[in-house]
Amino acid sequence: MLYALDKSLASEEGFAQVKACMTSPLAKLVIWGLLSALLYHLVAGLRHLIMDMGVGETLEGGKLGSQIVLAVSAVIIVLAGVWIW
Amino acid sequence: MVTNVTNFSRSGLYDWMAQRVSAVALAAYFLFLLGFLLANPDLSYADWHGLFSHTAMRIFSLLALVALGVHAWVGMWTISTDYLTPMALGKWATVVRFLFQGTCGVAMFSFFVWGVQILWGI
Repeated sequence: MLYALDKSLASEEGFAQVKACMTSPLAKLVIWGLLSALLYHLVAGLRHLIMDMGVGETLEGGKLGSQIVLAVSAVIIVLAGVWIW
Repeated sequence: MVTNVTNFSRSGLYDWMAQRVSAVALAAYFLFLLGFLLANPDLSYADWHGLFSHTAMRIFSLLALVALGVHAWVGMWTISTDYLTPMALGKWATVVRFLFQGTCGVAMFSFFVWGVQILWGI
């Protein structure tokens, strides 16, 4: 990721190379995979912050919260896939 | 009180806070970049270069890099002290855990220096 950032910022040709590389199906799959992991981490992390505030700390609340995290993540990950392709 | 010399701040409470503060910084940076890319579907080199030439963006990026190092350290430290234990690995657990943490530390430091070089090299 840092290598791509370096190349895309170093020169106009580098930027074009990175852009061209991003159009390949394999690169898109890798980006989607990385993005999915990050999005799930983000949603689960937001749940942690909400629980730190004292919301949903019961057993039922915890179960419901984790189900919400999975559902929201799934929707966002599908949307990310639509965006990439 | 039990203290652990390898955790980030010598205090679980400070680590807890550092993890959350860095999380908010990283979330803000990620959402900003995502928003920027969504708003510019036909991104040109000039736009991209202009964004990262901005002093505010460099400060934001550097903040995110520091936050990434802190966040990753607290996270990997937690994982390594939870799972790389004598119960799981036997008598070599401390050596394995220390090497794992050392590798993580070197990786985070490398990402930080590399990131600074990219940001200030353009």
